[in-house]
Amino acid sequence: MRTVTFLPSYRKIEVETGSTILDAAQRAGLNINVVCGGQGKCGKCIVYVQSGKTSFDRQKYGRFFSQDELARGACLACETTVESDLQVQVPESTLIQEQKILINGLEATIDFHPSVRKYYVELQPPTISDPSPDLSRLLWGIQKNGGPAAEKMYVPLEVLREIPAILRHAEWKATGTVALVPGGYRLVDLQENDTAKRLYGAAVDLGSTTIVVYLWDLGSGKVVSIASNYNRQISCGEDILARVNFARKNGLSKLQALATESINAAITTASNTAGIDREDIYEVVVAGNTVMTHMLLGIDPAYMIAEPYVPVVRRALSVATGRIGIACNPNGGLFVFPAVSDFIGGDIIADILACGMSEKEDISLLIDIGTNFEVVLGNREWMFSCAGAAGPALEGGEVLFGMRANPGAIEKITIEPDTLNPVYTTINSLKPRGICGSGLIDLLAELLCTCVIDRTGRINTGIANPRIRTGGHFPEYVIAWAAETDMGKDIVITENDIKNLIMSKASVHAACLTLMKQAGITRREITTIYFAGAFGNYINKKNATIIGLIPEIGVDKIINIGNGAVTGANIALVNRRKRKTLDDIACQVAYIELNAESSFMDEYTSSTFLPHTDLTLFPTVQKILDSCRIAKE
Amino acid sequence: MGFDLNFGWSGSIACVQLGATKSEGGTRRISYRIGGEKTLPFLEKIQGSSSPLITLEICDNPQYWSPIVTNYCGDMVHNSGEWAHAAETVYGADMVRLYLTSTRKRDFSDIASVGTTIETVLSGTGLPLIIEGSNEPKIDSEVFLKCGEAGQGERMLLGTAEAGRYRSIAAAAMAYDHSVIAQSPIDVNLAKQLNILLKEIGVSRDHIIIDPYTGSLGYGFEYSYSAMERIRFSALKGDADLAMPIICSAIDSLTVKEVRESEPAILDDIAVQWEFTTGLAAAIAGAEIICVRHPRTIPLLRKAFGSLTPGKIAGGEG
Amino acid sequence: MALKALDIYKLLPRKNCKECGDPTCLTFAMKLAGGKADISLCPYLDEEAKSVLGATTRPPIRLVKLGIGEHSFAVGEEFVLYRHEKTFYHPPGIMFRVPDTMPPYEISGVTARVRDEFFTRVGADLRFNGIAIENASGSAEIFARAVGTVEKIADLPLVLVTADPAALSAALALCGTYRPLIHAATPENRTEFCALAKQHDCPLVVKGKTIDELAQLTRDCTSDGVQDLILDLFPASLRDFMIRSTTIRQLAITRAAPDLGYPVLLDASLMELPDAAITLGITKYASVIISAPLSPASAKAALTLRQNIYTDPQKPIQMNPGLYRIGNPGKDAPVLMTVNFSLTFFTLQGYLESTRLPCFMLIVDTEGLSVLTAVAAGKLSETLVNDSIKKFALEDEVSHRILIIPGYASPLSGRIEDLTGWKVLVGPRDAAEIGEFLHEEWKK
Repeated sequence: MRTVTFLPSYRKIEVETGSTILDAAQRAGLNINVVCGGQGKCGKCIVYVQSGKTSFDRQKYGRFFSQDELARGACLACETTVESDLQVQVPESTLIQEQKILINGLEATIDFHPSVRKYYVELQPPTISDPSPDLSRLLWGIQKNGGPAAEKMYVPLEVLREIPAILRHAEWKATGTVALVPGGYRLVDLQENDTAKRLYGAAVDLGSTTIVVYLWDLGSGKVVSIASNYNRQISCGEDILARVNFARKNGLSKLQALATESINAAITTASNTAGIDREDIYEVVVAGNTVMTHMLLGIDPAYMIAEPYVPVVRRALSVATGRIGIACNPNGGLFVFPAVSDFIGGDIIADILACGMSEKEDISLLIDIGTNFEVVLGNREWMFSCAGAAGPALEGGEVLFGMRANPGAIEKITIEPDTLNPVYTTINSLKPRGICGSGLIDLLAELLCTCVIDRTGRINTGIANPRIRTGGHFPEYVIAWAAETDMGKDIVITENDIKNLIMSKASVHAACLTLMKQAGITRREITTIYFAGAFGNYINKKNATIIGLIPEIGVDKIINIGNGAVTGANIALVNRRKRKTLDDIACQVAYIELNAESSFMDEYTSSTFLPHTDLTLFPTVQKILDSCRIAKE
Repeated sequence: MGFDLNFGWSGSIACVQLGATKSEGGTRRISYRIGGEKTLPFLEKIQGSSSPLITLEICDNPQYWSPIVTNYCGDMVHNSGEWAHAAETVYGADMVRLYLTSTRKRDFSDIASVGTTIETVLSGTGLPLIIEGSNEPKIDSEVFLKCGEAGQGERMLLGTAEAGRYRSIAAAAMAYDHSVIAQSPIDVNLAKQLNILLKEIGVSRDHIIIDPYTGSLGYGFEYSYSAMERIRFSALKGDADLAMPIICSAIDSLTVKEVRESEPAILDDIAVQWEFTTGLAAAIAGAEIICVRHPRTIPLLRKAFGSLTPGKIAGGEG
Repeated sequence: MALKALDIYKLLPRKNCKECGDPTCLTFAMKLAGGKADISLCPYLDEEAKSVLGATTRPPIRLVKLGIGEHSFAVGEEFVLYRHEKTFYHPPGIMFRVPDTMPPYEISGVTARVRDEFFTRVGADLRFNGIAIENASGSAEIFARAVGTVEKIADLPLVLVTADPAALSAALALCGTYRPLIHAATPENRTEFCALAKQHDCPLVVKGKTIDELAQLTRDCTSDGVQDLILDLFPASLRDFMIRSTTIRQLAITRAAPDLGYPVLLDASLMELPDAAITLGITKYASVIISAPLSPASAKAALTLRQNIYTDPQKPIQMNPGLYRIGNPGKDAPVLMTVNFSLTFFTLQGYLESTRLPCFMLIVDTEGLSVLTAVAAGKLSETLVNDSIKKFALEDEVSHRILIIPGYASPLSGRIEDLTGWKVLVGPRDAAEIGEFLHEEWKK
């Protein structure tokens, strides 16, 4: 065994000789940024070995480093093996940064009908004249105290084995926990004395980047704490595709373990914050995309990512938490949301539940944007859905100075029409380091309104202004001069960045149009647009309309539901009637494969224009742009 | 009983003037007003409605031209004025389209020669002109301004504006009152986008000709055909941003495999047949300016258009 | 106009019984709207719904089959006026015309040519479809003899061109079991022609100078029991054909005149500009085109145009996979791999041409998907690249073993290297940067 010490935190870990530094770092709890999943391709996991012996192929990976960096011991953590005790410096840029995470779900009132309840009973001990068995005695007692009918309760063997000792030890005072499960009721636990107040449940949003947990007191119907953290699977690849490929190569067990671990970490934090015992959590409800939930359950997702894209299971699943390794009462229940298809997963079903579109007569459009996007259109009678790759541009990727919503990201921006000087705000008010998705949408709208770019996103290089110039390959607009920035470098947006952004927004809008066409409705018949996902919460609704990310229906009709996945999970946790409708919702949603839709390409091309080639779809935006142009002249 | 065609169209194609006669301020022997259609091609009921204009394409440096044409035309290809003259008097074209292929030479900088060439061609023929400027964005602005200037008053058609480079050509056209060819890659939406861009920088609707890019027969024509049909269809449905005349130039017709690899004995026949079939089908789909390079294609198209059009044949010597 | 999925859904029982094989009525409605399912699969449709749905799925133009066996073809069953609205389904049959007065060896020659001649483009063999035998002699005996001559050479679909019931009867005695097309019934001979068509179960052309006359004739023929009809508009000029063919197609597809819901025939050999007539016929709704035997140049152009017009315009624009050359690349020229989505191809080709560096483009078949989608969908794989290298004999063309792949395909680089043994260079994501990339990377 060798000891690896990570600087600057001085975290120590013992590993086998020949393990990679990446393995060691992950075991030491460091969130190393590994975009490629540890294949030596992305060059993100740079660390500096300060002392000790390692093996690293400098020739092969030399392209990731300058001579100076190599001289200082730079190497890739994923490709470097430990040969002796080491001291390793981990630069901040190699760690995943703390992100602004959305934890406030929809502030809706949810009727409280949990699926799990506790019943405290004080039973008469058996006598010669009353020799009925322990179990009947117990169940009858529960029924008398407001529980379900005794004959409807099923008792698993593990609990049955415990009953005689507990009842006698606690002198016939005990608390039974009864859960509603498919097919009836189940006595999931029996505890000595009155523990009825100690009943908790967790609603989990299992995102591919972030895990959010809401911890509920299921006795009182109140949220007791919230926690979130990164999905540790990121170390196996940033996007889902990379992770599935990782699973193909290395098996599923590591990803399954990381998913469980990530949920457990959040549950533990939440429990510690609330000061409760994890053993008192009896139910965990998980909403996640189809690949995530497959991985959590240890089901092979490999067949989902290639044609013909088949998931193993679509319906909602209930299993004992103990079988998955979730850190709560081992007899507790884990409920996993159903899915529509490989691309429309439980997270979207949760969004639908959260916004309530499946119960309304009016037609709603639900849009959930991340690296991928999902769109659902419909009402209580019918729903169409589709999904696609928005491209990472809207999340800040594939844009030169794009970044995630981390501290230092420009999140809001306006441009002064006369001077073309920008006014921006950054997350945590730090010096700017880049632009995140909401900032990019603002920027695109502002550049259009100030006529810096035309409707195809090309920069008018004829404008005489120092902020407009031709950089390396493309014309660009300078958002922040080097002196204002964190890294002492001009922050710019290039024509190529703008093109990527327009392609991303065009995919989303074309998907909306494709569903509308399939349903035969126009934008006027859409009563509400719901924006879901962390990204949606920070979007400027007006600017999202100006650039044609979404159909124009009026800013007042756009509602941010924020993290719909966790809201949906919350609802399903505390309201068993709603939970019962989930399979029906999933069944009701028809999935449209955009690749197979011949009109999609057409809608896409017409959407690669700001806001759209058919200006009659954006009458108000057209007026805004006309007035901007007049003001300019 | 009586069956009549009724599409319920609400739009019509914008009229564009090409060429200017003396009384119109230019020096052309003839000028055309194209556009104005209110229904699909060749379904107009009015006697004397115009038929598509047949344009012979020539260039000022034949090194870049198909040997099929240079062999057929002979020495005149080294003299743009003479070539343009033959286009009118021998080959019977309605218009001449001059490609300034001389600007394709690496590091071309002799802008003044562009003006001289255009003047030579203008004096060689009395037909309206289409001028194709440089292929090089760096010299675009100068070349187009020179073209515009040299043909001032002649209501020429300047090519080619694309989504990525339209500002300099539009500026030259507006400064000297010429029209612009707006080319986009085989897509009705992209065609419309470019028209909107041109409109927004001040080019008026009656100064734009749409070039939806014509893939030659067997090489993309299947898409060009529908792109043209869709443009015309949308225009007639009332979309003013697409209601401009269409130009068709299947420039690859003489280099496609079927032509290139044909037996020498029928090389000219197949080249002409390729241009003819593409041009006629494009006219049926909605093109109103048909460009060809082989002089023998011109009379074939002329006769076909004659049989498709009621009354007199517009333009040319027909 | 076809019904939308949601309109159809509203006509369905909406009980999600799954008996049609679909999980919900909505997904079944989507399939119906796309023509991918049959309404008979739903056991709970009421009569009204059946009639509404039935009418929209029944083709507005009758499908008519000519000939039997491998050379037979069907025309009609078209739905649109513009191919971009859907597509054109059944390409017109082009039949070479021979007068029965032609010497038998010449008739045999034309027949053999139609039987044997083909021309391969984008993986398809393009052919002419049959022989139209014209009763130019006016003699039933000579007509029958000409039919016999053709029949001896090949079992091609035939058009029997005569106005004389006796000649027709003699010809049908020889070839009536092979579903020849009878040309043509007129008001004068309609009764006899219908009787013969019915007797031999052959499709029949009706010929009329006006649309009204044609409509009357089709009504009469169908009441005489002949359903497989084709319309000859007998146009005086190209313009005449243009207007009448368009009118009939529009009336047929809008179901405004069911009597005109039949395919159209154009005899280009009677027109003053036969080449132009063929082009017009192909583009403007002719389903059977009769023509004099064409010159090699006209033949290739006509077959290519027919292939173009009858290609589905909504499919992504694809290039033929293969090895393309930019300039005259030598053995040491770079090889750039990309997908066969035509916009990708043309964009890259344009930039490569402007670099003035001769090179090869290896175009692999991703069914028209762009690089990004092809990688995501698993269509672009190391196996495909490897197969393409072999198939297009790339290793014989260049002496090096270095492949440049698109930036978006970088996740595949390792696997391509492992499988092909070629060294992979990951190129830029944007084609605009390819020039610089080649100048910097390739020069090394």
